[in-house]
Amino acid sequence: MDCIKKKVNEEIKRGWIGSNHECAYHPSHFTGQDCTFCYCPFYPCGDEDLGANTPGKRGKPVWNCSDCLFIHRTEVAKYIMSEIRRLGIEDAADPRLKDIFVDVKSKFWHEGRAVMVVGATSDAGKSITVAAICRMLHRRGLLVAPFKSQNMSLNSKVTRSGAEIAMIQVLQAQAAGLTTPDAHMNPILLKPKGDDISQVIVCGKPFADYRVKEYYEEFVPGPGIQIVKEHVDFMKKRYDYVVMEGAGSPAEINIYEKDIANMRAAEIADAVVFLVVNVEWGGSYAYALGTIELIPEKDRKRIKGIILNNVRGDPKKMLAGSGKLEEMTGVPVIGVIPHVDVMLPSEDSEALRDTSRRGEGGIKIGVVKFPRIANFTDIDPLFMDDVSIVYVQEPKDLDGVSAVILPGTKNTVLDYRWMCDKGISDRLKEMKGKVPILGICGGYQMMGATLDDSLGIEGGTKEVLEGLGFFDNRSTFAEYKKTIANREAVLLKGDGGQVTGYELHMGQTEVGEEPLFRVDSMFYPSWNEGSVREEEKLFGTYLHGCFDLQAFRRYFLSFVDGSVSVRDAPAKSYEELLEDSLDTLADAFEENIDVERMMRILEGKE
Amino acid sequence: MRILVLGTSSSAGKTMMCAMLCRYFARKGLDPVPFKASNLSLNSYATKDGGEIGMGQAFQAWSAGLEPETDMNPVLLKPSGNGIIQAVVNGKPYRDYKRGEPMDRKELLGEAVKAYDRLRTKHGAIICEGSGSPAEINIMDRDIANTGLMEVTDVPAILVGDIERGGVFAAIYGTWRIIPDHLRPRLKGFIINRFRGDASILKDAIDQIESMTGMKCLGVLPYVYLRFPEEDSYSSSKGKLEGTDVHQAFLNNVDEFTDIAISSGFDFDAVERIARE
Repeated sequence: MDCIKKKVNEEIKRGWIGSNHECAYHPSHFTGQDCTFCYCPFYPCGDEDLGANTPGKRGKPVWNCSDCLFIHRTEVAKYIMSEIRRLGIEDAADPRLKDIFVDVKSKFWHEGRAVMVVGATSDAGKSITVAAICRMLHRRGLLVAPFKSQNMSLNSKVTRSGAEIAMIQVLQAQAAGLTTPDAHMNPILLKPKGDDISQVIVCGKPFADYRVKEYYEEFVPGPGIQIVKEHVDFMKKRYDYVVMEGAGSPAEINIYEKDIANMRAAEIADAVVFLVVNVEWGGSYAYALGTIELIPEKDRKRIKGIILNNVRGDPKKMLAGSGKLEEMTGVPVIGVIPHVDVMLPSEDSEALRDTSRRGEGGIKIGVVKFPRIANFTDIDPLFMDDVSIVYVQEPKDLDGVSAVILPGTKNTVLDYRWMCDKGISDRLKEMKGKVPILGICGGYQMMGATLDDSLGIEGGTKEVLEGLGFFDNRSTFAEYKKTIANREAVLLKGDGGQVTGYELHMGQTEVGEEPLFRVDSMFYPSWNEGSVREEEKLFGTYLHGCFDLQAFRRYFLSFVDGSVSVRDAPAKSYEELLEDSLDTLADAFEENIDVERMMRILEGKE
Repeated sequence: MRILVLGTSSSAGKTMMCAMLCRYFARKGLDPVPFKASNLSLNSYATKDGGEIGMGQAFQAWSAGLEPETDMNPVLLKPSGNGIIQAVVNGKPYRDYKRGEPMDRKELLGEAVKAYDRLRTKHGAIICEGSGSPAEINIMDRDIANTGLMEVTDVPAILVGDIERGGVFAAIYGTWRIIPDHLRPRLKGFIINRFRGDASILKDAIDQIESMTGMKCLGVLPYVYLRFPEEDSYSSSKGKLEGTDVHQAFLNNVDEFTDIAISSGFDFDAVERIARE
């Protein structure tokens, strides 16, 4: 406590500084944040709009306001500093700081507003629309955050506090200029495990497995609604705008009452709603009108704008029908957005549905498309090099590939059995040593000698399977436990270099191989990770995202035969490329949406 | 007998549905013939007499047990790059349209109806396929294969919606609403296509759509992993198919799909009734 007071004293002496670009941690919360009060002069304010008591180490409650962004608003920091100067306060212990807090809160704090983007179908463009709106509002100096009450996705990421949330909300948070996405942005994450069963992740932690029916009958009306409410409230207290994303179509009238991802969430958040329709498949006016009219009247009035998305060709042609659509629905068409060619990660397996290949590069890499494939966004950075991807579902799909990747899976044992039944495993054994083979997470587990599921945790039947036998590793699914963590690592082979990634897996692996990476941690001694046999061109790691930085991408591709020219170092990292893509996307929205009208709707003036 | 199969979007499953109806009616000895008034496609087929029609209609003709002929697809519009569209009429190149140049809609529709009438007099049942969505407000006045055909004939229509992308009830209801008032009563039924799972969960929603529109649900068809021409890789347009294995493979697929439809309780009798009305 005294330590904080001392820091605050220094801050008071220094005066207003705005953003501190010199600081190694900048921006620790969001781009453009005010750093004048890195340490809060009001700590602990005890105001529950801004923080909460959490149990401390010795059982004593500790005031936690790590999610509070109020003090980092420029106008707030400036005002506080001017008041401190006016009153001649020089010490953090001065009781008059309490008065300043009351004053500044009443002047500047307000609950934020919510807007929700729903789609007429899956793949309507909800995710990118949310990302674009986040970026547009961020550009206007507003504090904004994405939110999706319930997401069903196999691509997830790990937050700084070790919670698991959907990858797409992390990307949207980046669009909003936020540096620390958290589990509030996606409180309920469903990860399909089998045909009828999903793992339910609440606030980033595994909650329980539910069958579809139980989920809707027990979870949704019980904890589900409460969870959504709690987190929406939390977000609205901290941001000017919460940009919510719906799921699927909001007009599935057979499950309307049980749906907490669409209009119900909008009602809880008191959000205005935009409807996005993907024009590409045709029938978009009908989809728009039908969606609006099938939504019960009490909720329908929330829908304030229609966005026709993904128009190839002349947007004016679509506008020609907009007037009639507006007349029929009573809802204005606020934007006609052209198809934007940007490199952004794909949301879920829907996007992979009918894809057999991606990219046009010269190096053809086979990616085994497991029935329960997960975190396949791992391969996206490869498209920055001269790579194309073939999705492998049959042994013959491996013909002519220069490298193979076994990606992650939601169920290692079931997907390994699938791969063996298909004959892909045998084919991989023949290919060993000829082309580089990389296993990531579940794929890495499969490359080992055994998969010990003697408790039946993964596959349902108690058994020990023989793996591909590429590595002398043994993976055990010993208890229902999941490793979730972000990692900073270095590549131990080739030219070395930095690697970042995150682990998300069931099961532990006993490794009998030379390691591929060394993981460095602030709190623990470094340890070895992954496996490598260079002479046999075999590589394996638990680190999702290992291709994000260039070092490992280059290293892996260097094993491709004849090393078909790997592109010269791109000047940009994958992260920067995403940043550019988000800007391109937001630019397209700025140009093709009625921004003024959108802002009026967001402000509740229309 | 005559019926028009419309879709709520592109690739909703119209082509496959028409092929399946052709197959079913052929099995019953009702002498079906496929027809698509106007087709926008690069995948075309050369008929025996040297005419060009859409690949989908050739496939439907085989499904009906017929040799493809130009009347089955009297107007074929082929995008030939740079916004130029080549119109093939009655199997022969007619003229090119430049980007933004209006088509001779009246003339093209006129030719289409003549072909429709010729087929009707020769065959027992004409199974017509629509094109894209019939509810494109911005281009409805130029439509030929959907509302265009409905305006100039008395053909009743059924609507296919693809449930795989979600929003199928909205799509069916929205399409029904946008169809002009005087044609709407001719929409008699709808089909939910590509469903995965237990169809009983859709019942309430189906009941609701039936009572809101007066259309009857003719069936919920399961997702099938079967390939049919328009969706497949004959992207080089002139490829012939005569006598190849692929031809037979497609027919096997349509047989399998027809059997699946029968076993899933698809209401063929209702389709027949609608077609006879």
